[in-house]
Amino acid sequence: MGTENPGRPTFPSRPASSPFGAAQPVTPFSSTGPVAGSEPPPYRPTPPAPPQAATPFSSAGPAAARPGAPGFRPAPPGRFSDPSIPPPPRASNAPPPGGPYQQFPAAPFPPTTQQQQRAPMMGQASQAPPFPASLPAQPQMPFVPMGSPPSQSAAPAHLGPNAPPPTFQPTFPGYPSKQAGAEMQAPPMHSNFPANQGNYGPAPPAAASPFLSHQGGYVPSPPMAPPVGMQQPGSVPPMGSVQGLAEDFNALTMQTRPGTMDPLFDPKELPRPLEGDVESKNLADMYPMNCSPRYVRLTTSAVPSSQSLASRWHLPLGAVVCPLAEPPGGEEVPIVNFAPASVVRCRRCRTYVNPYMTFTEAGRKFRCNVCTLLNDVPSEYYAQLDATGKRVDINQRPELTKGTVEFVAPAEYMVRPPMPPVYFFLIDVSISAVRSGMIEVVANTIKSCLDELPGFPRTQIGFATFDSTIHFYNMKSSLTQPQMLVVSDLDDIFIPLPDDLLVNLSESRSVVETFLDSLSTMFQDNVNLESAFGPALKSAFMVMSQLGGKLLIFQNSLPSLGVGRLKLRGDDSRVYGTDKEHGLRLPEDPFYKQMAAEFSKYQISTNVYAFSDKYTDIASLGTLAKYTAGQVYYYPAFQSAIHGEKLRHELRRDLTRETAWEAVMRIRCAKGVRFTTYHGNFMLRSTDLLALPAVDCDKAFAMQLSLEETLLTTQTMYFQVALLYTASCGERRIRVHTMAVPVVTELADIYRLADTGAIVSLLSRLAIEKTLSQKLEDARTAVQLRIVKGLREYRNLYAVQHRLANRMIYPESLKFLMLYGLALCRSTALRGGYGDVPLDERCAAGHIIMTVTIKRLLKLLYPSLIRLDEYLLKASVPADDLKSVERRLPLTGESLDSRGLYIYDDGFRCIIWFGRVISPDIAKNLLGADFAAELSKTTLGEQDNEMSRRLMRVLEKLRNTDRAYYQLSHLVRQGEQPKEGFLLLANLVEDQMGGNSGYAEWMLQISRQVQQS
Amino acid sequence: MGLDLIFWLVICFPLNVAFLASAFYQVLILSDLESDFVNPYDASSRINYFILPEFIGQGLFCALCLFTGHWIMFLLTVPVTCYHVMLYMKRQHLIDVTEVFRVLNAEKKFRIAKLAYYLTIIIITVFRFVCDALKIAYSDLLCFGFYILTA
Repeated sequence: MGTENPGRPTFPSRPASSPFGAAQPVTPFSSTGPVAGSEPPPYRPTPPAPPQAATPFSSAGPAAARPGAPGFRPAPPGRFSDPSIPPPPRASNAPPPGGPYQQFPAAPFPPTTQQQQRAPMMGQASQAPPFPASLPAQPQMPFVPMGSPPSQSAAPAHLGPNAPPPTFQPTFPGYPSKQAGAEMQAPPMHSNFPANQGNYGPAPPAAASPFLSHQGGYVPSPPMAPPVGMQQPGSVPPMGSVQGLAEDFNALTMQTRPGTMDPLFDPKELPRPLEGDVESKNLADMYPMNCSPRYVRLTTSAVPSSQSLASRWHLPLGAVVCPLAEPPGGEEVPIVNFAPASVVRCRRCRTYVNPYMTFTEAGRKFRCNVCTLLNDVPSEYYAQLDATGKRVDINQRPELTKGTVEFVAPAEYMVRPPMPPVYFFLIDVSISAVRSGMIEVVANTIKSCLDELPGFPRTQIGFATFDSTIHFYNMKSSLTQPQMLVVSDLDDIFIPLPDDLLVNLSESRSVVETFLDSLSTMFQDNVNLESAFGPALKSAFMVMSQLGGKLLIFQNSLPSLGVGRLKLRGDDSRVYGTDKEHGLRLPEDPFYKQMAAEFSKYQISTNVYAFSDKYTDIASLGTLAKYTAGQVYYYPAFQSAIHGEKLRHELRRDLTRETAWEAVMRIRCAKGVRFTTYHGNFMLRSTDLLALPAVDCDKAFAMQLSLEETLLTTQTMYFQVALLYTASCGERRIRVHTMAVPVVTELADIYRLADTGAIVSLLSRLAIEKTLSQKLEDARTAVQLRIVKGLREYRNLYAVQHRLANRMIYPESLKFLMLYGLALCRSTALRGGYGDVPLDERCAAGHIIMTVTIKRLLKLLYPSLIRLDEYLLKASVPADDLKSVERRLPLTGESLDSRGLYIYDDGFRCIIWFGRVISPDIAKNLLGADFAAELSKTTLGEQDNEMSRRLMRVLEKLRNTDRAYYQLSHLVRQGEQPKEGFLLLANLVEDQMGGNSGYAEWMLQISRQVQQS
Repeated sequence: MGLDLIFWLVICFPLNVAFLASAFYQVLILSDLESDFVNPYDASSRINYFILPEFIGQGLFCALCLFTGHWIMFLLTVPVTCYHVMLYMKRQHLIDVTEVFRVLNAEKKFRIAKLAYYLTIIIITVFRFVCDALKIAYSDLLCFGFYILTA
């Protein structure tokens, strides 16, 4: 890279007297480059006459001596990240001095320049009113990036906190493939201004020189035409060749900066999954009879043909299975009953009949697609073949045309009569539970769900409550009032009644209702602090062990009495970073593992609802859910007034969703391939049999496969997932998903058919498991290493053929992998260390990641950020037309405009962000009269006006897209610290935060490691 | 001399045969588990039943070797004893039924290694026993011959 730019007449030598040194009000750009302290300010202010396009920059340009000197680029109008704002015409670029800023409340530029690289959430906002990424809306005020970071090592030092929101390389309006000329050496801006928006202040009202005194690396540039002469020659190979490769892979150019050899990426051209999860259609075209990808997704829809090939695929090789996923609207899984015959299966490998089996010998035999054995067709199943070799009855046989079917299982698939749905509730009634209001919400919700519990009229229900004693309730149908029986001997638990603690709901309905009505009043004066959780768990086990079923635990404090009592831990920050760190995330007492194993053995599935504001040891409690195919719901510091709605929805969903009872799942595949490890919430009953006491549509399981034979000779590999379960109606069924995938011999094909969603899901589960045996740091490193290895191998495929130095190449199918990897490392479960996330929340987040489906995981990792104010304000847009709120914005601070209203939705909660200078109308309409009050005390309710109704409609729509979790909305105002920090800013994964890299920097790290081979 | 014989024959040999049998039984159960002939609950409870007795017996044997002055045997057994103590201290000595399939291969290898180890000890034991017995017999023979000669 040339360090001199002879062809750049616009960069005269540095003027002896810089006009910028002095705060001249006329000068719009006055920044002094604060970069890396000792360096001279790389940028020289421009001469006062602003709108001179010809010589806008008087600085010395990219001189070799000053690595930090990039070319200055005017901000192109259209490049702001908020697409909803139409790009202003170029001509309007002239920054009217002080123009739009005048209206801002006086918020002077914060003097926070020295605070570099601090997490904005740490409460610095008090000094610096956050300056939202207001740029998008203010095209008149183009900021030109000036002091771009010269080198990566120096980059962190550049985080001039009050750098105005990054507006990037103006010269790069498009992607390089479209604009060859534009792609030379853009100053990589992104890493400069990571999420520190807490620190940029709005421009002062006296805005003649708005940025005068602050040292951010940016100065607004005078309007000018895109400078033609600024490109550095030769930093990248000519575009032509790159375009030719477009179909092979995607590539990002690393721009070498003048004066240094340190490349960076243009943040704007980095790929972002703004469309959410996209299920690949590749395989469906190839094998139309496969099951839908919502049930089974492979990390790559191709099986490597040899072990050596598989070993070159460094990303996980496996599948993510969600056996009971909700079928798309209106569709039903066909139910096939073979009675009186048995289910048709291959004699040798036990594969169920599926569309890929071929019938021969006039229909008397069928050949198994998995093991190629020729089987006899049972006489009841016989049908003739037509001229094309197909069975004549193929249209009446969904199992021969569809990848997903359900067989009715005959008696040989039962070890006992099918169990009825059983719900047992174990509720903490100690004082903290009473105070939080949890009991009332739970009782009311259960009561309202009684009609919808699956399996009427066989459903059974039971209750027990506990504090320092255990209370059972006799709900015999002949009683009018439930009878309470107290057991206080915690060392020798016994059940006071053999029956009648678990009763048939339809028979004892009135008793159950009476009980639920009185539950919250019964304990309202309870002052008991203790929690005999372990003994209560044991007694619940004794009640349920006859039948199995679902155990719902509502726990509000740390178990303190009897077996399984737990200690307070996790307070010791010194443990972090040592070899003992992972112990905090493991169950403390082996009691919980033993109980979980017993539960699983007796077909009991445990869902844990934890509510405490103090430490409750989710790591230990969660174990119960982990091995019993359960789920952990965590509501830190539960207050019924605030979190009640969320609990109500999630508990209702838990109770009413279709559930498969006493299930086992197995995934079969042809010889030569074997599933080796399984990841998720279940217990292995044999090497490949997952025991799932209760499973539902919200749970997914991941597994990895390995090749057992050195060479696969077949062309196609078949996978078959079979879930044998008892439906709520009492029928034993087998749900079978069949999938065929090609066997490939080329690594490139494996990459081409890769599925980012499944890979990310497997990677996250592996990472969470790693945190149980190693440090957080190690888990993050492992994720990064995995990605690097995968990309390096890919690079080796192509880099030899093409000159691709300075380019990072990656397959089209994996273009979001890097971002998701970053998001994973910054997710609640893996982020930071001791101080970043409370231990319980971290463990709960880990449990969530281990169970959720791919779609939900991707949403959690890269949540949607949507601008709402336009939709709310524009009366012309019909309220039903929600299209405008489907546009997701990149998750970076600069997407936020202080005049806007944004909603951040990760599928588990919504955060509604009010810009600092949002029009008071909006705030008033949405929040009611107390709009000026502290937002943390305000809850969002529907007000009687159109705007509020519209917001409610948006929220409803977001909630309806995925009903598994309820997104409670949190309100936060810009600059409200520290709330804004941990609610929103810490989750803007593309921005640099604390010790975490931003997106561009992360890409740089990866691409460097990729090239270091 | 006679004491040594007793040590080899009455203590060392039967103890190690017992260890060997226990290790063999555990390997057997693990391979059964692998091929799905037993369920993990039974398998782990059966294996766990034997683990502590084996650890204790092994520890005692090691101590005995020390106190009877069988240095070589002591040196051979002390690493294994230490390893057992370490496992016990870390509470990793028992098979965890929930994770048994994840550790199946490692546990199996560990037990096969132990099997080989106990077998080695037995061979040494037998060898030493025969040696000692021969020595005694030989010296008896010598004594006897000397006695005849002198008589």
